Amino acid sequence: MSRVIAGVFAASCLALLVVMGMFAPEHLAQPDLSMAYASPGELPPFGADNRGRPLLEYAQQGAQVVALPAMLGGLVVLLFGTLGGLLACVGSGRVQAAVQGFGEVVGALPRLVVVLVVALLLPQDMRGLTPIALTWALLAAPGAMDEAASVAGRLGGARFVEALRAHGFSRARIYLYHIVALNLRPVVVRQAIETVMQVVFLEIALSYLALSDSQPSFTHNDSVRSWADILYLGYQVILDVETGHALALGLGLVGVVALMSLSVTWAVRAR
Amino acid sequence: MQRWYVRPLVRLIAALLLPAAVPAVITALIWALPGDPAAIICPPEVCSGTEELAKRWNLNDGPVHFFTKWTGDALSGDFGRSWRLQQGAPVAPMLIESIPNTALLVLFSFVPILLGVIGAATRVLPRAADSLLRILGLPPSVIFALAASAVITIKYGSAAFGDEAERVKLVLGALALGLADAALAGAVSGVRGLMESERKQRYVRFGILRGEGVLQNTLPNALPAIIGQLRARVLHLLSGAVIVEVVLQINGLGDLLWGGTLYQDFGVVIAAAFGFAVISAALLITQALVEIGVALHVRRAPKAVAP
Repeated sequence: MSRVIAGVFAASCLALLVVMGMFAPEHLAQPDLSMAYASPGELPPFGADNRGRPLLEYAQQGAQVVALPAMLGGLVVLLFGTLGGLLACVGSGRVQAAVQGFGEVVGALPRLVVVLVVALLLPQDMRGLTPIALTWALLAAPGAMDEAASVAGRLGGARFVEALRAHGFSRARIYLYHIVALNLRPVVVRQAIETVMQVVFLEIALSYLALSDSQPSFTHNDSVRSWADILYLGYQVILDVETGHALALGLGLVGVVALMSLSVTWAVRAR
Repeated sequence: MQRWYVRPLVRLIAALLLPAAVPAVITALIWALPGDPAAIICPPEVCSGTEELAKRWNLNDGPVHFFTKWTGDALSGDFGRSWRLQQGAPVAPMLIESIPNTALLVLFSFVPILLGVIGAATRVLPRAADSLLRILGLPPSVIFALAASAVITIKYGSAAFGDEAERVKLVLGALALGLADAALAGAVSGVRGLMESERKQRYVRFGILRGEGVLQNTLPNALPAIIGQLRARVLHLLSGAVIVEVVLQINGLGDLLWGGTLYQDFGVVIAAAFGFAVISAALLITQALVEIGVALHVRRAPKAVAP
């Protein structure tokens, strides 16, 4: 697969996610029991839930829940990764020791444990996916910094900068173009898009677990449905309820996010 | 150049601080929340006796008193009582009951990862398998756990809490945990990359010319980084264990933490988070000891290995 095709596919998926979120209805449609469990053929494009409400609205609201926080999380990892790579090119032992210390402390605990403690401690009015996504991103940042630093290290670190300075390039061009754009890009963009994917999956997992305990989710308010609701509905297919179309939609949405992540990684890979 | 003992020393210090730091941070944050901690358990508008409750749970004398009392009790095996999840019940038996299940789950899921790592390091596992493992590892743990849960429900139905079903849950849960979120794929590709770059070093080529084995040369230098990767994988498994345990209804530490979080039970959350902190500290100590062992074995600073 060429980079262009992968890039176009990834951009389309991302655009779809954002557009779906932008046009999400504030509330689900009124129940229409005559359409309960309607298949995609009966109520296009995705069918209906147990009360006849279109699953399209679930998908849109779910996209609205995840789109912005996931991209914010990705951006944080992108910035930290870039910073890690650039610091490795500065060549200061103290800075690198500080970065290592930060990584050791932040990365010492299982991420979900930290996320759950943060979710617990968030005041009711601050609950939502954004603080959880930012926490996840901060926990993922040391890994991104470490990987970017090792890429910069393989490049030659401070000696690479010195060599290019000797060729007459300005510092801004060396750092922004030669180091970030040409060399760090594949790593930091991959780390960022993986964080986007992880935040989406984290939201699905947290909402699903809350649903299975019949409790409100940490990630969105009760009036909004997440993609976990689609999976929860679809899972009832094992109890012989006609929700196979919901299961297919839920898995399809997960698959689209995973494929988007793969495509971005492919599109930005080093030449 | 950084001295060889700096990294293991940082890890050992972090390991010693972690079990104390986690409850300390949670305690500080409980008091940082708006309102009185006792009012969280027993809101005055819905229940009376908030002051009495604050006294009984050591919430009446501020965060320092609460933390020192909790730590002192924890050192003697008393982890306090549940605030909401099983109100008034001691937390220690919950921990004792849940830790073995989590340990088994993580241990079982670690087996394929360890085999994959050995296969990648020795080149027994072909590079062509990486793509397959990567595709297998794409779905998140919640999807794998749901598939495992479906198998349990279909096979055992109402007997899903019998002994046999519990064993099957552990095995399927471990499989889900080991495959999901690229746990196996990440470990294999990470160690493969590490070993391949080490194989290209000049000293390895000289070793081969001297008639020595490749692993004999590469392993001492790559081992600290491999252990670092394995520690990251175990943390990853512990993280995923929360989801797998809740979906499969396995009575583990993650399930306990989730219950505590869901019902705002700080008593349970502090104890469960402390449990995770102790496990994380043990992992840090293991990594530090391996690094020290390798450094002493080669009697010089280890070569820089890509993390």
